[in-house]
Amino acid sequence: MSEAEMTAGHHAGMMEESPYAIPSGKLAMWCFVLSDAVTFSAVLFVYGYLRIGSTNWSTPFQLVPSVLNGIVMTFVLLTSGLTMLAAVEAAKAGRTAAGTRWLWATCALGALFAGMHLMEWRHMYEEGWRLFQNPLGGSVHFGAAFFSITGLHLLHVLGGVIALAIIALGFPSGKYNRIDVEITGIYWHFVDLVWMFVFPLVYLMNAK
Amino acid sequence: MSAEESGQGPGMKFFVAVWIGLMCIVGIEVIITYRHLPARDLLVWLLLLAFLEAAIAVWYFMHLKYERAALVWSLLPAFIFVVFMMDHVWPDAFRLATMRLLSQ
Amino acid sequence: MSEATAHSAVHVHAPPSGFIRKYVFSVDHKVIGLQYYGLGLVAVVIGMILSWLMRLHLGWSTLAIPGLEKLSPAGAPGNVMTPEYYLSLMTMHGTIMVFFVLTNAPFSGFGNYFLPIQVGAADMAFPRMNMMSFWVTLTAFLVLVAAFFVPGGPPLSGWTAYAPLSAVGAEAGPGQGLGQTLWGVSIAIFCVGQLLGSLNFIATTLDLRTKGMSLARLPFSTWAWFITSVIGLLAFAVLLPACILLVLDRAAGTSFFIPGGLVISDRLQPHTGGSPLLWQHLFWFFGHPEVYIAILPAIGIVSHILPAFMRKPLLGPRVLISCMAAIGFLSYMVWGHHMFVSGMNPFSALLFSVPTLVITIPATIATLLWIGSVYGARIRFTTASLFCLGFISVFISGGISGFFLAQPSIDTYLHATYFVVAHFHFVMGVAAIFAIFAGTYFWMPKMVGRMMNETLGKIHFWLTFVGVYCIFMPMHYLGLAGNVRRYAAFTDDYLVPLIPVHQFITIAALITGAAQLIFLYNLVWSRFRGPKATDNPWQATSLEWSTTSPPPFDNFGGRQLVVNHEAYEYGVESPEGDYIMQTAPETAKAH
Repeated sequence: MSEAEMTAGHHAGMMEESPYAIPSGKLAMWCFVLSDAVTFSAVLFVYGYLRIGSTNWSTPFQLVPSVLNGIVMTFVLLTSGLTMLAAVEAAKAGRTAAGTRWLWATCALGALFAGMHLMEWRHMYEEGWRLFQNPLGGSVHFGAAFFSITGLHLLHVLGGVIALAIIALGFPSGKYNRIDVEITGIYWHFVDLVWMFVFPLVYLMNAK
Repeated sequence: MSAEESGQGPGMKFFVAVWIGLMCIVGIEVIITYRHLPARDLLVWLLLLAFLEAAIAVWYFMHLKYERAALVWSLLPAFIFVVFMMDHVWPDAFRLATMRLLSQ
Repeated sequence: MSEATAHSAVHVHAPPSGFIRKYVFSVDHKVIGLQYYGLGLVAVVIGMILSWLMRLHLGWSTLAIPGLEKLSPAGAPGNVMTPEYYLSLMTMHGTIMVFFVLTNAPFSGFGNYFLPIQVGAADMAFPRMNMMSFWVTLTAFLVLVAAFFVPGGPPLSGWTAYAPLSAVGAEAGPGQGLGQTLWGVSIAIFCVGQLLGSLNFIATTLDLRTKGMSLARLPFSTWAWFITSVIGLLAFAVLLPACILLVLDRAAGTSFFIPGGLVISDRLQPHTGGSPLLWQHLFWFFGHPEVYIAILPAIGIVSHILPAFMRKPLLGPRVLISCMAAIGFLSYMVWGHHMFVSGMNPFSALLFSVPTLVITIPATIATLLWIGSVYGARIRFTTASLFCLGFISVFISGGISGFFLAQPSIDTYLHATYFVVAHFHFVMGVAAIFAIFAGTYFWMPKMVGRMMNETLGKIHFWLTFVGVYCIFMPMHYLGLAGNVRRYAAFTDDYLVPLIPVHQFITIAALITGAAQLIFLYNLVWSRFRGPKATDNPWQATSLEWSTTSPPPFDNFGGRQLVVNHEAYEYGVESPEGDYIMQTAPETAKAH
């Protein structure tokens, strides 16, 4: 079924055309992404504000393991974006089985990212980093900014992993269709997009 | 642009190329991090590269290129405007650094 | 029905059965709208009672108010309010009123009920998400009200919750323990509810308009709800992380908003390095668009109702819509005018002051359009139209004080005085409430199928109209005289002579409050005993009047409407009288 047929609605010609000609669910997801982007921007601005305002900022991330770990996590998340695209392409072409497989691949990569992230958190915790504590004696805002920004992002990743699993479970039976896969894709790519700012601003800007 | 065209895009080969490009940008970001630039210059470069990555992701991965122009003109200016307005806070951040009573 | 989920078709669901599905967990936007309105009604009663308690204390600071000790033994020993408890009641008054009344009733309440109908749809774009957004909002309300009953009581940092007072924890004062945390959690939950609501409103307005309902033919109320949703989408997005960071400061030991070296109750606080100014920036970045979220639906509702009672269309409809959009756009540029004396970068004051003065322009244009439209019109004076005219009056009264406050030089003197209190109460606490009243009297026949009593309505209007001027006009004088706000009692030499003015205001407030009982009585009585309403008792044109009173579960009884006319074709000759409904056949042309 083409996009045209999908957006036209049951009562073709009986409704005004949307200025954007996309299904409502997709429009809503774009609006949600817009709003969430503003939320993440606000949190990053807070980080920038406190960093600029501090006189003793720490830059604790060694190349090994922290920055390297970050690079691998970035690779994982970017690859999950590629698998998501594959899922959407397969869904659009009607290849349900392939689409489902790619959805699960994306879900798995997302879970891998989350797992690596939690391990990194544990590593930092063991080194003495807290939301309110800096084991190097520098600004306590490092921990506050790091854990709150990455924590908010991680929450979104976990939400995405769950959503992907739900869609992957319902897609083969037709409970969810290709539009739903596309909508999930927009969300998942947004999660990746946020990381494109978090990685340089939180990791690279704090590299030793 | 008919609804038929919007939502369609190029094939996976193209997206793999984009993916490689994004990885390259990440690589460039890592390389310049270790060039020992002053923090402010590094920030400018990283932000520019991050916005470039984001633009590519939004345009191609999220298929915004293949949507109606109206959607682009509704979403992007709104976001840019709001974030631009947030820039009002920076003067106070700089003043905070110079007006602290205690070294913290 | 997998296609139905795929695109923007009208969601045809079977009528619900069973009490729970019909009235409690309902996906019907009409039920949800009434639920939001009901929440607003409960909230406004609580908010008003809080204001009476505050006003009694301000007039007579040693007064023992019966029952107060029951509510809070620590806050009111011997039934006499402590200064801290005054601030707590004030905080809850502001929070409840701004969020659960003003952001709720004209937008979530009427908007949910009438937006789908006014665009010609059978329901919102996402009915289940709509239901969820109500229950999320209700949860936020319950979490907030719980603050009254926890140890320490409700917070006392104001609805603005400035740091570090709001961020350091229980040491800062009574209510600053669990009460403040509940506040932060409640508002964060509220943000989520609003976000979900905004998504629905935007998608419904753009995607579910029936044939012929172009964007230009939308009623002003729909435009206002749409623009408000867009503003909310971007504003609540900043309040949410702000509240989360505030709760982290309180519960997780962070210092986002708490500076170092703070000594409270002889104890050096373990926080360091944060910025109270940062909280103000985040809060007001949300807070200023928020007040326009409160007033724009009111502007839309009043603009929608007036033509029906003037029997002529509004002057410059496209201009009015542009003004609403301009107000929305500019609202993101002005937030620093709440912070002129905060210690922020002094040059920022100029950058905020200029757009603040500019934003008065679209507001003034809108006002002039109303006045120009009303001039020469043969007005049908009903309670709804009286409240609309009253809205124009109080909107002007409240707006003019804004011109003064927009200028940093004058604001340096007037900030945190009763002048500010007068300003925002006139525009929010009166004008927006008048619009809610106008909407109620106008739309109640449609919502419940019964007319409200006009005599009681008019008495309600006049008592309220005179009353609010008696309450809030003197506050301008108080502010200019230097009367500081958020004081529980006035003991300084320069304030003691002003106490009689406060007493006058209190008496006016109590009488005006009592007058609202007339409205409540009217509401309840009419619901059960009012004369039955016809489909179109006001001879109005928009789509809600093309269906029964109340509408059937799918709004139009399965009909797919076709719209052939603009939204406000009044004062024309037609078979129906002096108006043409939007759904009238195309041949019914205006003369």
